Amino acid sequence: MNHNPKLPNTEYSTIYLLGHSESIKVYDSKPDLDIWNAFNKGDEIAFNYIYKMYVTVLFKYGCQVSRDHNHIQDCIQNIFIDLRRKRGQLNEVQSIKAYLFKILYRELIRKSNKSKEAVHQYPEKIPNNFSIEFSQETKLIQQENSQEKIERIQGAINKLTCRQRQAILLFYEEGMTYKEISVAMDFSEVKSARKVIYRALATMKTLLQTKSENEV
Amino acid sequence: MDLLSIYNMKYKDYDIDHFITDEFFIQWIKNPNENNSHFWEKWMEQHPEKRPLVSKAANLIRSVKYADNTEFTDRMYVETFEEILKADNHFRQLNPISPTKISTTHTKKVNSFFPLRGIAASLLVLFCLWAQYEAINFKTDPEPIAEIVLVKRSNPAGKKSIIDLPDGSRIHLNANSEIEFPREFSNDIRLVSLTGEAFFEIEKESRPFIVQSGETKIKVLGTSFNVNKKENGSLYVALVTGKVSVDTQNGSRMTLEPNEMLVLEDGGAYRKTGFDAKEVIGWKDKYLVFKTSSLPEVRRKLEQWYGVKIELKGDFDTKWTYSGTYKDEMLENVLRGICMTSGMNYKIDKKQITLTNPK
Repeated sequence: MNHNPKLPNTEYSTIYLLGHSESIKVYDSKPDLDIWNAFNKGDEIAFNYIYKMYVTVLFKYGCQVSRDHNHIQDCIQNIFIDLRRKRGQLNEVQSIKAYLFKILYRELIRKSNKSKEAVHQYPEKIPNNFSIEFSQETKLIQQENSQEKIERIQGAINKLTCRQRQAILLFYEEGMTYKEISVAMDFSEVKSARKVIYRALATMKTLLQTKSENEV
Repeated sequence: MDLLSIYNMKYKDYDIDHFITDEFFIQWIKNPNENNSHFWEKWMEQHPEKRPLVSKAANLIRSVKYADNTEFTDRMYVETFEEILKADNHFRQLNPISPTKISTTHTKKVNSFFPLRGIAASLLVLFCLWAQYEAINFKTDPEPIAEIVLVKRSNPAGKKSIIDLPDGSRIHLNANSEIEFPREFSNDIRLVSLTGEAFFEIEKESRPFIVQSGETKIKVLGTSFNVNKKENGSLYVALVTGKVSVDTQNGSRMTLEPNEMLVLEDGGAYRKTGFDAKEVIGWKDKYLVFKTSSLPEVRRKLEQWYGVKIELKGDFDTKWTYSGTYKDEMLENVLRGICMTSGMNYKIDKKQITLTNPK
């Protein structure tokens, strides 16, 4: 018992009701541009919405770059803190997800390499970045595509470059458009995103064909 | 020519490579919405011969997955959110002159333009926040902070009330309960303190709304929930909408989803359960609900609800329970209902009720 009413009680159990579900009701059907502008103007509900919608996928994406979960969590925290501080001066954003992916990727790399030059080399230095798992879900498909074939595809995927795997994952796992991929991967033109994807698929095809011919 | 027929022409000659490089197709597989579903379902109807190809392409797309699938836990969700908000305050509180110092990772250009007016306002807000916190927490202080006028509303047994707050939020205050709040909220926070039970419908806005119940603080931004601190010290927080996370004294943390209820025992133990909305929050809509309630529970509920004293005469089966729901019903009708199924008799003498068991 605290007998001195003047003593602040430091052992509060704190219950946070974040009101995040409410934010969904307000912003769910609005275009990204509007949500972003509201956030830029200081609307906390818009912030809650952005946080709720993207923090989980950001973390997942971060896990494809780094194995250090605390590091990823810190980086996510930092990018949101930074965005909040820059409210009022933020540029317009057409795809919030693609933009957040871009700045998280930058932050992850910058934080793990102090020198700026390393930024662009980094992805190739760690070949395990953006590992792809090729797995089929339904039994039907497994009958159609033999286990052997799946393994072959898996093997071909692993021969792709890190940037190609990154693009493939953004395309198929995240369901991003070419435009969004170009934002997330810091390409100046959408065309570059298309090129990376096409080239990756072409490489895979070649690899698969060569292999099957060898086997025959 | 409408869009659909253009697409029809385009997709008619598609082979699998085309499908797996078509972003509109992938959107439908990965993020189906009304628009793309409508299109593709119709298209498949018109081109049934393409079905096997479409399903093959869809399967290929779905098969590509992240090799690493670590989950972002609820705990991380809340932790990160709190850290982000904390950094805001930290930023305003500690770095009024040189905000760039706080973070080595953020750009200086933006921060150095932080306007002086904003700093002054933040300090003022912090002062108000502190002042209000002091005023509410330490109401026995002989010199309450000027300007903060606290309003206290309390209900005796038998009376419920609705209180509208200056921010548009509404509080349903149950009988035997008391709520205290400032006549005007500060710029940064909405803080009320509660004894007993209340249902809150909080207007969503940027200032957090904090309910203090004993030593527990419940923080929300805009949501509806019920808080009930029982006489034995247990605290029940039932969430209708919104999201909750709970920090207990021993440092563990958990989250509450809508339709979940947190029970915090006096000793610090806690558990999470579902709840029957009518049973827990029906009181605000005048529903008196008994759900396999024991005799002491029935007695306590009736005393609180109608503001009466109930005396028990005779031997009562300890295993006896009662279930029943009454809406806006007179005490006599409720007593009649209870006695009808249990064989008890009741006697009303103004505010004094006697329940007897003839067996």
